Amino acid sequence: MIEPVALQDFFVTFFSAAAVILFGAGYAGLFAWARLGNRRHLMPWAYACYATLAIAVYALAQAAHLHGNWTLVTVLMLLGYLLAPHAIWHLCAATHRAEHAEAREVSADQNGENPLSSTAKRKTP
Amino acid sequence: MIYSVAALPHRIAGAFDALDSPHLNGGQQLAVRYLAVAVVLFLAQVLFGMLSGIQFVAPGFLHGVLDFNVNRMVHINAMVVWLLYGFIGSIYWFLEDESGTEIAGLKWGNVAFYVLTAAVTVVVLVYLLIQTGPGKDASIWFINEGREYIEAPRWADIGIVAVMLVFFYNVAGTFMKGRWSGIAGVLTLDLVALAGLYVAGMFYLTNITADQYWWWWVIHLWVEATWEVLVGCIMAWSLMHLLGARRKIVQTWLYIEVALMFGSGILGLGHHYFWIGTPDYWFSIGGFFSALEPIPLVAMVVHSVYDAGVHNFKSRNHPALAWIIAHTFGNFLGAGVWGFMHTLPQINLYTHGTQWSASHGHLAFFGAYATINIAFFYLAVQKWRGDVWMGGDLPGNGWKWKWALALLNLGVMGMTVALLIAGYEQSFVERAVGGSTWEGYFAAQNQVWFKQAMHWRLLFGLVTTAGVVLLVWDLLTIGKGESRKAPTLTKAA
Repeated sequence: MIEPVALQDFFVTFFSAAAVILFGAGYAGLFAWARLGNRRHLMPWAYACYATLAIAVYALAQAAHLHGNWTLVTVLMLLGYLLAPHAIWHLCAATHRAEHAEAREVSADQNGENPLSSTAKRKTP
Repeated sequence: MIYSVAALPHRIAGAFDALDSPHLNGGQQLAVRYLAVAVVLFLAQVLFGMLSGIQFVAPGFLHGVLDFNVNRMVHINAMVVWLLYGFIGSIYWFLEDESGTEIAGLKWGNVAFYVLTAAVTVVVLVYLLIQTGPGKDASIWFINEGREYIEAPRWADIGIVAVMLVFFYNVAGTFMKGRWSGIAGVLTLDLVALAGLYVAGMFYLTNITADQYWWWWVIHLWVEATWEVLVGCIMAWSLMHLLGARRKIVQTWLYIEVALMFGSGILGLGHHYFWIGTPDYWFSIGGFFSALEPIPLVAMVVHSVYDAGVHNFKSRNHPALAWIIAHTFGNFLGAGVWGFMHTLPQINLYTHGTQWSASHGHLAFFGAYATINIAFFYLAVQKWRGDVWMGGDLPGNGWKWKWALALLNLGVMGMTVALLIAGYEQSFVERAVGGSTWEGYFAAQNQVWFKQAMHWRLLFGLVTTAGVVLLVWDLLTIGKGESRKAPTLTKAA
C-alpha cells in the first residue's frame, strides 16, 4: 500500500514538505498583495512561488513514492494550492463588498459629491 | 483543625470573590475566575515541563520522588485543562454581550466552576501522591485511567461531562432566552460535539486497536475540529470587539472556516490510524486529508493580507492584537508546516511518536491555542480595570508585554527546533537504522545530536518560563492606575 521513504531521502522529504506549505503561503500572500491595489509587478513573483511549490511537490512525490493512487494526492496538492488563493480572494471581495460601497458613500458624503446625501443637500443652494 | 478544613471552601470562594470588579457583568465575573485558574495552570504546565526537560538531561533528577512519567503527564494535562479553562472563560465573557441578556442558570455555572476546579485539584494531587501501584478496575475509577493525555480517573471524567452539560445549558439557555446569532449557532452546535466526543474516551475496551480507535476521537477531533471551531467563535467576537470588524463579515468567515476545518480535519483523523492496527485504507484517507489540512491555513493568508491592506486597523488593545497576530503565524507554522512535514504515512512510519511529534505539538498548541487565550487575557484585564487605555504609549512603552511576547515566542520556537533536531535523529537512528528495536531506541537516546538537542530544549524552556513569568507580572499590573479610557470603535453592524 505504501513504500516508505528511503533513508537517504529523509531530508528531501522533510524539506520539500515544508517548502510546499511555505511557498504555498508565499504564493497566496503575494497573490493577494498583487491583487490589492493592482500591484501587477508582484504577480510574477507570486507565480514564481507557485512554480517553486510545484517543484517541491514533485520532489516530495519522488522521495515519498507517491505513485499509483497516491498520484491523486500530488495532483490535489497542485490544484488546491493553485486555486485556493483565487477562491479566497473572491470570497474576500464578496464579503467586503457592502462595506466598500458604504465607505465610498461616506467618502462621497464628506466630499459633497453624493447628491442624495444629507450633507450634499445642505450644501446645495 | 476540623474547623480549618471546613472553612476552606469559604476561604477559597472568598479569594475568588476578590477577583470581582464593578465593571463586569455576571458572566464576566465568572469568566475572570476561569481565566485566573487558567493562568495558574499555565504556570503549572511550564513548571512540570521544565522538570521533565531537566530529567532528559539529568535522568537521576527527582527519580523516585517525582518521576518523568508523572511530570510529563501533569505537564500535558495542565496544558489541556488551562486551554479549556481559557476557552470556557472567554465564552462566559462574551455570552451576555452576544445574547443581549443575562446568563441562564448562572448560579449553576458558578457551582460547576468550583466543582471542576476542586476536581482538577484532587486529580493532580492523586497523580502526584500515588505515582505507582497495581492497575485494577479501582485504579481506573479513582487513580488514573491510563489513556495518554486524558488520564483523569473515571469519576473525574463523569464530573467533567456534568460540568460541560452545565456549561452547555448556560450557553444554549442564554441564547434561547436572548437573541441568536451566527456565532451563537456555531458555538452551541460545537459544544454538543465537544461534550459528546469526550464520551468516546470514557469506555475501556480490551482490544488495544479498538480502544485507540475511539481514544483518537477525543484527541484528534477535539483538537483539530471542535477546538478550532471554538477558537473561530472566540476570534470572531474578539475581532468585532477589538477592531470594530463587522458582524456580517466575521460570521461569513466563521462559516467558511468551519466548512474548511471540518472538511479537511474530520477525516484528517486518518493520520492517527496509520499504525494502530486499523485497515490499510486509512493510509489513503489519512494521507489525502492530511494533504488538504494545510490548505485552509494557506487560504487564510489571503484573507489576512486582504484585511491588512484594505482596512486601516485601529486596535483598542495593542497586546491583544499582537497576540492574535502571533496566533495567525503560530497556527500556520505549527499546525501547517510542522504538521505536513511528517504526516504522510511514507515518512510518518519513522517519525510517529518520536520527538518530531513533540516538536509539532509544542508549536501547534502554542500557536493555535495558547496565543488566542493570552490575547483574551488582555481583553479581559482591560475591561476588568474599567475599560482603560491599552493602545500605544503605555507606561514604559509597554515593555513588559512586548518582552513577554518576544520571550514566549522565541522560547517556544527554540524548543520546537531543538525537538525537531532530536526527532530527526531519532527517526533516523532508532527507526530507520535501528529498526525500532530496544537497542535502536537506546542508541538514539545516547546519540550526541539527541543529547545536545535536549540541552538546547532546556535552555529555550528557561526562556519560555521567563516569558510566562513576565506575562503574569504584566497581566497583574497592566492598566493599573491608568486614567485614560479605551477609544470607542465603530459599532459592529
